[in-house]
Amino acid sequence: MGSNKKVDLIIDGKRTDGRSPEELRPIKIEVGVLHRADGSCLLDWGDNKVLAGVYGPRECFPKHEQDPLKARLRYRYNMAPFSVSDRKRPGPDRRSVEISKVSREALEKVLFLEYFPRTSIDIFVEVLQAGAGTRCAALTAASVALADAGIPMKSLVVACAAGKVNDTIVLDLNQMEDNYGQADLPLGIVMTTGEIALMQMDGNFSREEFNQAYELAMKGAREIYEKQKQALKQKYAAGELNE
Amino acid sequence: MSEEEIIWEVKRDSINKLVQSGKRIDGRAFDEQRPITITNNFIENAEGSTLVKIGNTAVLAGIKMDVMEPFPDTPEEGVLMTNAELVPMADPTYYAGPPTEDSIEFARVVDRGVRESKMIDVSKLCISPGEKVWAVMIDMHVLDYDGNLFDAGSLAAVNALWNARIPRYEEDKIVRGEWEDYLPLNDKPISNTFVKIAGKNLLDPLIDEERVMDARITMAVTEKDALCAAQKSGTGFYTKQDLDEMLDLSIAKSKQTRKLIKRE
Amino acid sequence: MAEEQEERNENEERVIVVPGEKVPSTVRGNAYRRNNETYSEVYGLMTKRGEFAKIVPLTGPYIPVEGDYVVGIVTDVKFGGCVVDINSPYTAFLPTKREYNYKDVVFAKVDKVDEVKNVVLFDEKKLFQGEVIDVSPVKVPRIIGKKNSMINLVKELTGCLIFVGRNGRIWIKGENYAKAAQAIRKIESEAHTSGLTERVTELLKH
Repeated sequence: MGSNKKVDLIIDGKRTDGRSPEELRPIKIEVGVLHRADGSCLLDWGDNKVLAGVYGPRECFPKHEQDPLKARLRYRYNMAPFSVSDRKRPGPDRRSVEISKVSREALEKVLFLEYFPRTSIDIFVEVLQAGAGTRCAALTAASVALADAGIPMKSLVVACAAGKVNDTIVLDLNQMEDNYGQADLPLGIVMTTGEIALMQMDGNFSREEFNQAYELAMKGAREIYEKQKQALKQKYAAGELNE
Repeated sequence: MSEEEIIWEVKRDSINKLVQSGKRIDGRAFDEQRPITITNNFIENAEGSTLVKIGNTAVLAGIKMDVMEPFPDTPEEGVLMTNAELVPMADPTYYAGPPTEDSIEFARVVDRGVRESKMIDVSKLCISPGEKVWAVMIDMHVLDYDGNLFDAGSLAAVNALWNARIPRYEEDKIVRGEWEDYLPLNDKPISNTFVKIAGKNLLDPLIDEERVMDARITMAVTEKDALCAAQKSGTGFYTKQDLDEMLDLSIAKSKQTRKLIKRE
Repeated sequence: MAEEQEERNENEERVIVVPGEKVPSTVRGNAYRRNNETYSEVYGLMTKRGEFAKIVPLTGPYIPVEGDYVVGIVTDVKFGGCVVDINSPYTAFLPTKREYNYKDVVFAKVDKVDEVKNVVLFDEKKLFQGEVIDVSPVKVPRIIGKKNSMINLVKELTGCLIFVGRNGRIWIKGENYAKAAQAIRKIESEAHTSGLTERVTELLKH
């Protein structure tokens, strides 16, 4: 965030991709796209393409990780080598490990893990194409995949970011804005209660700017929540005979 | 034996019985392939990409290119590298970690099919002899596993190569996001995989068929009906008759499958 | 356990619900309460008749319940009994003096399930030969049908012996087992629709 280069990211109220400051990038959500996984979701968000797959609850291996009181939750965020401009070497890097941790922690108290002692619930998210905001796309897709797997939870979770670019608070940063902007605030929200389960921030926000960014991210999250619900409901409604 | 393996053993008996009476679990003939769907340019930012589904098996191949030093023994030739990831969501038995022998075998066999068919004219990928050549990196990402990774991966890789374009190279730097010509290509090798069960050879195995197989063979055939790569896996044995039968079938089937390779 | 309706009632409303969606307070299972409101816990099908509503999950694992009949496969033979795979995140133990072998298929009742979900079976019957298929456990009530109507239809029209486990594992024996398996898979994938009995009958008569 915040390269020292001065770049004009908003001209005449329009951002580099033509959006207004309060506009989300286009989002498309498909439920149940994989056959092996218990639940899955393919999510397109701007230039992002992420695929979430869930297994579980299933027998927990290694055995020493079994928790007699609840299911063990695991979340693995991974970027495919061809997902970014300069090929990324396969395997977890420090950034992926951090994202995996905070995402897992966001979901830990949303799922009814205590219903399934001694098991594991494994969430895998592959970023097939990256275009800024992959961690938000990943968590949003994971939530849908968890529902598709039949995992009981308190609420769907949506993650959305807001930031600051050319001193303006904007919703859902794109690649350019992520590289050359002034602040970035991804938030993960438990939609039924509005509670914040994930938050990270880098850059520079005044107290007031932080409030504005928070409000804008929440507004974005509410729009995305409608799309999540729609995608899940449509899977069974439209065309009674599936597959 | 693990619990999983016992469950597969239960299936082995019923699949063996079926094969002996001339049938397969999904009703296909022994030489019948499952339906194939191909989506080219699935990932816009890659130099090339193709998603292939054979039945429920889904493999996404992405092509990335970079500039590097050539190998010392081929100073005027581009470089080819193939990698595969069996991502954990694709199958309950896949786990995150260093490449397994299965994923390495998969990557190397697909690589062999591409490399030995000479489908890429690597002499045209030289920028500056002995110093700079283009490297073509194929990454296969297995998303959903229901048997026959070899054919799905190979078809995805070959299609992706046919749809890939070389990035713009200006003033010693790659301009990401801008592309020039398509790769210099001159063949469309097709891979055909068979498993041996109860003495019979079954084309395009399902996951259950692979789990109970005696052995497996993959044969890659070029446009000129030449065999350019082959691999036998598993602990069972083959006769020459088996090999002849499968090679004839591979050549015949490849002609059909090859029609699916398109530049879009 | 869900009772499945073959035909829609005039006053019955069916709607897909998602986790966290507000539902009528008459819903008992698969829902939680917070601040005097009731919310669905699962991605499910909610059927409403007047004031009363019920949620059935659309998907999910089999979690053993005392009294359920299950079809299991013996995966380990120990002194005193055997370990049985019941298509669940939880393995079961069958205490018995009878001799069993790996791969034996049994039809048994769930005797006890403790707080950490250790499962004990009893009253087992060994199932000889036959084929085993696994379906999504939440579809089992539909496969059985109201008063066994659906599964009896499949048995009659195929002449097969069929044992349906509440755990989604089904044992089929007979010459026509492939047809029976096909019919069961059809019921599984179309469980949420109506007019299913007619379509299954059609399939089996040809």
